[in-house]
Amino acid sequence: MLQRLQDSAFSQWVVGSDSLLAYPTILTLHTAGLALVVGASVVVDLRTLGVGGAIPISALRRAFTILWIGFVINLLSGLALFASEAADKGAKPVFYVKLALVIAALAVTSVLRRTTFGAADDSVGPTGAARVLAVASLVLWGGAIVAGRLMAYI
Amino acid sequence: MPGWIGWLESTRLSAGMRDITWLWPACESLHFMGLCLLIGGAGFLDLRLMGFMPKVPITSAKAFMPWAIAGFAINLTTGSLFFIMAPAMYAFSAAWWAKVFFIVLAGLNAMFFETTQGARVLSLGPGEDTPVAFKIVGAVSLTSWFAVLYFGRMLPYIGTGN
Repeated sequence: MLQRLQDSAFSQWVVGSDSLLAYPTILTLHTAGLALVVGASVVVDLRTLGVGGAIPISALRRAFTILWIGFVINLLSGLALFASEAADKGAKPVFYVKLALVIAALAVTSVLRRTTFGAADDSVGPTGAARVLAVASLVLWGGAIVAGRLMAYI
Repeated sequence: MPGWIGWLESTRLSAGMRDITWLWPACESLHFMGLCLLIGGAGFLDLRLMGFMPKVPITSAKAFMPWAIAGFAINLTTGSLFFIMAPAMYAFSAAWWAKVFFIVLAGLNAMFFETTQGARVLSLGPGEDTPVAFKIVGAVSLTSWFAVLYFGRMLPYIGTGN
């Protein structure tokens, strides 16, 4: 099935087209989306850990909007990149490691959003548990980046 | 080919680093992490300067700058290692020179802000809209860093002369 996906007209256009709009642009969108997702995560995680302590927690809710926009960009560009080499990428264990790390990072981020950034009262600072989530988020995103890079090599 | 590019590529340092097979992917991973620190930290301040998130004190948004600068330092270091390993691939790429141009532009823009607008940050009250100069500086910075990302990622595909 993955081979049929890889052989589809869309996949062949992504990989085979000479157009810069095909593979290179989709790849660049995936990198820009990464900057939005992990860049926004870095900001909310660091704030949770105490950086910029005078910033009201509720003022950072907008950062999660940027994060989810980045995620949608990367879900779509990621699907296109996967389709283009489905049989090859689907056979790589490191691809599933990356997927697991991304899902775990998003789950941690959602919990942090609900627990810490959802509170109506700004005077309640991040709890110890929230700090653990923030560190976990940074580590998981770092791991997802390494796994994503390694897909090109192993 | 300017002589020093060929010389650099022929040095034992360059060849020795190329022989370490894990070094290139390791530097790439660090380069992507540095990019997230840089665009996360600097982009946050840029958006605030542009007038978004008015409840965030600008002086507090600047608390993220050391993290952005750390990201830049990581990327300057790993980027320099890439250049030592494959100088000709970069020195003769139009995309690489475009990337360097936007890094310099972002740097000059930040220097302009710190030297001429720094004092105005302190006089800005909480929730007050930012001056036009702040908005322009923020937009130039944000655009420049995404242009750096664009030309970096497109390096293998555009302006390679083949």
